[in-house]
Amino acid sequence: MSRLRGQMEAALSSVCFGIAPIFAKKGLMSGLHPLYGATIANTTALIIMIFFALFSGRVIRWEPIKKYGLFFAILAGICNSVALVSFYWAMSIGKIALVVPITCTYPLFTMLAAYLSMRESEVMDIFTVAGTLLIVIGVVLTI
Amino acid sequence: MNLSILLSILCAIAWGVQSIFLKKAMRDIPLSAVILITLIINFIALVFLIGVGVGNGFSVFINISRPIYFYFMVAGFLNYLLGRGFYYSSFRFTSVTQSTSISSTYPIISVVFAITVLGEKLIFHQFIGIGLTLSGAYLLMMKGKR
Repeated sequence: MSRLRGQMEAALSSVCFGIAPIFAKKGLMSGLHPLYGATIANTTALIIMIFFALFSGRVIRWEPIKKYGLFFAILAGICNSVALVSFYWAMSIGKIALVVPITCTYPLFTMLAAYLSMRESEVMDIFTVAGTLLIVIGVVLTI
Repeated sequence: MNLSILLSILCAIAWGVQSIFLKKAMRDIPLSAVILITLIINFIALVFLIGVGVGNGFSVFINISRPIYFYFMVAGFLNYLLGRGFYYSSFRFTSVTQSTSISSTYPIISVVFAITVLGEKLIFHQFIGIGLTLSGAYLLMMKGKR
């Protein structure tokens, strides 16, 4: 049941990630550089999260945070930022038709990294490999 | 291989690997703290980019109209807050590969909206792409039922 909950949450995130570009596209139709759009979008989310942290004590409890977890959260943030910067850089000098499909192969790298570094907790069976491959090929064809 | 392809591959690797770090982080840190930390680091990176001259400087923000702000604020709420919230949260219940693969089907949602809201039409290979993506998602979902 909990695994299904995880899959439902992943599906809901897909819906959110899918609807957001509709609004972003409307914004970009004004001719604004995407970097400014990303900054407004990120800042909006950051302000809401800071409000949550300040005014809802139960949302973020800083006491139990361990350095190990903090280290990986910062690494994740750096990776996300490297992805963001390289994406905009690639878009600015390359063809969108080439850049976007390549960047959409990221689940393959997640699968590879999970196989190499999290074998104890990540079950890598034929369903996972075939499902991931089908999704990546399908998404690349759809874009 | 030109620079744009190298950067695209770097982007895919960084996006792919971040999920592993997120899952490891969430063993010790609450979900909301992870979202906040990644948003802060993203904010620093974006401000740095504008600061070093990508775009036309910070003065651009003054001239952006309210409706454009609104569109990006909604996009930010959906993508950076709700989307990330669900995505990061899913790591607690299922494998990181499954979560990442299922959440990466979002272009299908965009295509459905593009057809229904914007009135766009699909071409042949896009139909095949949607079929393959849904098949892949079904395989991963079926795995959860076993």
